[in-house]
Parts: sequence; C-alpha cells; structure tokens
Amino acid sequence: MSEPRKVIIVPCSGIGKTYGSVSREAAYEVIEDLRPDSSQLVALSMLVLGEKTARDAVACSPAITIDGCKLACATKMVKESGGQVAQDFAVLDVYRRNRTLKPKGIAELNEGGQQLAHVLAEEVSEVIDNLQGDEDA
Amino acid sequence: MSGYLEYTFDKFTFKVATDRFYTPEGVWARADGDQVTVGVSDFLQQRNGDVAFVEVWEEGSAVSVGDEFANIETIKVDIELPCPVSGQIISVNGALELEAEVINQDPYGAGWIAVVEAADWTADRAGLMTPEAYLEHIKVQAQEDAE
Repeated sequence: MSEPRKVIIVPCSGIGKTYGSVSREAAYEVIEDLRPDSSQLVALSMLVLGEKTARDAVACSPAITIDGCKLACATKMVKESGGQVAQDFAVLDVYRRNRTLKPKGIAELNEGGQQLAHVLAEEVSEVIDNLQGDEDA
Repeated sequence: MSGYLEYTFDKFTFKVATDRFYTPEGVWARADGDQVTVGVSDFLQQRNGDVAFVEVWEEGSAVSVGDEFANIETIKVDIELPCPVSGQIISVNGALELEAEVINQDPYGAGWIAVVEAADWTADRAGLMTPEAYLEHIKVQAQEDAE
C-alpha cells in the first residue's frame, strides 16, 4: 500500500500584514510541529512565479489554503496553478470565532496573534487528518 | 437607491451614493423625514479593509453630532465612528453582529449601521458634505494615502 500523499499548505504571502503573519505562523506550526509527516509547505510566491516544483506539488496533491484577506490570493493561485483546493481558510473567519485572540504586530505577533495562529493550525491539522483518512479508505 | 458618483484610483474604484450626505470621516446620513439612517462610505470600507466586528451604541442612546456612536474593527484598524446627526438611536442593524462583512459587501444598503431620530436634521445636514464635495474629499485622501 502506498503512502498517502502529503497535503500541501499554501498560506498568504502578505508581508507586513498582521493577518498574513497569522496565516504563515499557522502554516509553519502545522508543517513543523503538528503534522510534519503529512503536510508540506508551498510558498505562494513560487506559484506566482510559476516555479515548476511548486506547480507540480499543488497539481498532484490536495491543497489547504490560508488566506489573510478577502483577495484570497492563495486560493486563487492554487486554482490557477492547476491545483485542487481541499479546504480554504480565512484568518478573519477564525478570528471572528475567537474574538479574544486579537492579533497585532507584524514581524512579531502579539500573544493573541500567536494563539490565533495555534487555533488555526489545529483546524488545519484536523482537515489534514480527514484528507489522509479519505486516502487510506 | 439613486445613482453613484465614482472615482477610480489605481486599481480601486470608490462609489459615492448620491442620495445622502457625508462627514469627512466617511460616515453617511440619509434622511426619511426625521429618521436618519447612518452607515459608512464605500471609500471608508475599502480603505480600512475587511470588517471583523461592529459595535453600535444601544437603541435609546442619545447622540450628538461628532459623538462616537459605533466602532468597527477591521483587519487593519479600529475606527470610532462620529455620528453625523444629533438625536436618539431608534434602531440598530442587528445583522452586523453575525455578519459584519455586510459593511464591505454593501456599505450603502444592507450594511447600514443605525437609524437616528433626529432632533434637528435640517441644522445637522447643513454641516455635512454633499456627495459631490465628498467625492472631491476622497480624491485628496486617496492621493495622500498613496504618497
């Protein structure tokens, strides 16, 4: 039996934006700590540039996108790159469900932002588990 | 709903509804008799990004021109909204509590914030900007933002 494919995580690339930072911190936590064996990060900028490895990755595996604003660049670029978005997350939606975790800061998130990123990372991890479970079935 | 004036700057097009009056901060007021509906302009919502939460003073609250009557939290900033009219808040858009994004989606329609029973609308209106004047105002603001 073959190994399930890694789930691709594509966060917002909004540098200098608080919500973009939350999306990236969440993605880092997923791939480094929570689901290192079942997830892989693809940088949005690589998709924008049309980099082959990045495009191949999203074309061959399910992707979870984490967008920092309604422009939803991550989701749009995965689709434009031939990928399939298994689940799209918006930082704002997660914040609306966790109002006490108000994110602030850019280069360094405040505690609320870090906790929000953690909540988001947990939600992303659940989706990864479900996707991997579907592949096992 | 009547028409709009529009101003395009860079990739953004800002609409100014022509059937109401404006504060320089971007709060609009539209009167139906003495009942004045208030909300925020398209320029204000685009300039400040996605709205996360809206808090409006309770129905029955007395407000004066320039008083804060609501605040909105966006992904960029927290904004205190000055009331464009004096009187008493008689209705609050409860839909914003669950769907604050309506302000971004439809600032001149479903995204209305409150209705104020005006004490003297005629006097308050004289202190507000016409749509044409507000359009000129946002042109300057957009230019300044870009600098």
